[in-house]
Amino acid sequence: MSISRSQVEDFLYMEARLLDSQMFEQWMDLFSDDAVYWVPAGRDDIDPSRHVSIIHDDKESMAKRVKRLRSGFAFAQDPASRVHRLISNVRILSEDQASGALEVTCMMLLVELARKRQTVHTAFCEFSFDTRKDPWSIRRKKVNLLRNGEVLESTPFLI
Amino acid sequence: MIPNIDELIQNDLIHRSVYTDPKIFDLEMEYIFNKCWVYVGHVAEIPEPGDYKTTFIGRNPVILSRLSDGEITLLINRCRHRGPIVCQHEYGNSKHFRCPYHSWTYDNSGKLVGVPMPQGYGSTFDRDRLGLAKVARVAQYQGFVFGCMTEDGPSLEEYLGGITRFLDAYAAVSASGKIELFEGVQKCGYNGNWKYQLENGVDPYHVGALHLSAVTPEAMKIYRQGVGCVIAMDGHGVTDHTDWGPMPADAGLSGGFNLVIFPNLIVLRSQIRTVRPIAVDRTEIYTNVVRLSGVPEEVNIKRMRDQELEFGAAGTFFTDDLEIFERTQEGLQSGAVEWLVFARGLDREEVKGGYMTGAMSDETQHRGMYQNWKRHMMAAASSLMAAE
Repeated sequence: MSISRSQVEDFLYMEARLLDSQMFEQWMDLFSDDAVYWVPAGRDDIDPSRHVSIIHDDKESMAKRVKRLRSGFAFAQDPASRVHRLISNVRILSEDQASGALEVTCMMLLVELARKRQTVHTAFCEFSFDTRKDPWSIRRKKVNLLRNGEVLESTPFLI
Repeated sequence: MIPNIDELIQNDLIHRSVYTDPKIFDLEMEYIFNKCWVYVGHVAEIPEPGDYKTTFIGRNPVILSRLSDGEITLLINRCRHRGPIVCQHEYGNSKHFRCPYHSWTYDNSGKLVGVPMPQGYGSTFDRDRLGLAKVARVAQYQGFVFGCMTEDGPSLEEYLGGITRFLDAYAAVSASGKIELFEGVQKCGYNGNWKYQLENGVDPYHVGALHLSAVTPEAMKIYRQGVGCVIAMDGHGVTDHTDWGPMPADAGLSGGFNLVIFPNLIVLRSQIRTVRPIAVDRTEIYTNVVRLSGVPEEVNIKRMRDQELEFGAAGTFFTDDLEIFERTQEGLQSGAVEWLVFARGLDREEVKGGYMTGAMSDETQHRGMYQNWKRHMMAAASSLMAAE
């Protein structure tokens, strides 16, 4: 049976909620061991082996970010940013039932409140899932920020 | 009213208005950024004929171009007719720049080569005199290109002074002896004065404190053991930990040096940071990431990945730096306390190799940079005085 869009939406809402609620460890558990968490810089279609990114993490680097946020000394998150993510325009691009590979895109509106300043980001997000197990795992999360070529304010929270 | 520059910089004290007074900022644009050699880019950003990069010298928009003969040119990015910038892209390749307003067209050496309906201008119209204005001087050292808005003053090498030795060592990490760059730029902004970033680029004292959440125990050891030194070098700042080892190819915190080349270039580990002052309380940082020749590709990629993890807009180190810059701007709004303290190492610094040198966590290099700042700004004060 093929995967429905509402199943995908449920997963994306849950992922967004984990981040909004600062449940970073549970969020990280959604990712496969070989996952890539990628926020390109400059434009969406860069080659990350030739071009610098805003974030290009493997699971080890993701763990370093989470460890820092939990250290009690992440001063840029004291107090922590409050973040709301709205997920929309969800599309299933492809599904391969044999391998469990599922490719999804969506739009994200992210509003951050920190230091009395509200910052709005929008992004076109691309996800690759492995759906063989429940819950699914994220093999690749790519966040194409609209402003990825612009000067960004400090972004110490997880996008 | 002219700020009393002389009193704002004491040897170990700096007045808060140096960071908060818009009048001081205006003078800095005029008497520092329009007088000093200002970093505009590295030749590796414009490798091919026709390649260009747009950037700023203080408030002057400029175009750094490579001409067809390979020469580097630095032009003011402003149409001679009515004033719009003639190039709005950050990087590109073009032999011509055309202002879309009335189609005045310049070649990339700045020559005015096209004016629509030229018969409308009288016989005195001299297009040879209406090319894009050139920055008075342009020069490079190890591919780092600097522009200077004035004809007179020291040559670039004289201006860099002892720093040239460190730039040589930096370039030598690459087997080709030439600095190469990854594509793309990390761009970050903060609501604070530009000089916080200059101080912070050579400030080992803060690493074990502000970066407690990110620094590794091994790196912490370097800073805590106090191996290495800080140097006030010809108006620029150096933290030198080459005692611990040369600049490492893996860009780790295990040796090498940090350089702050007054007023806007920072070189450390795998990064070349350009500081762009926007206003007294607004600054942008543009960072290029160095790519080495002669090392395995995975080493280069690791260098870039580490740089992203630690120093981009989402960097585990840099976000705390940006945070403290904004908190400092907030704190310095208070007139209840007038002075900042830059006294570390005053009673133990000494001249070594011709330069005032302090222990690893000292503030000797900051005092040197602010004496340089003061020297330029005193020239402002005296010429304003003469005008009044």
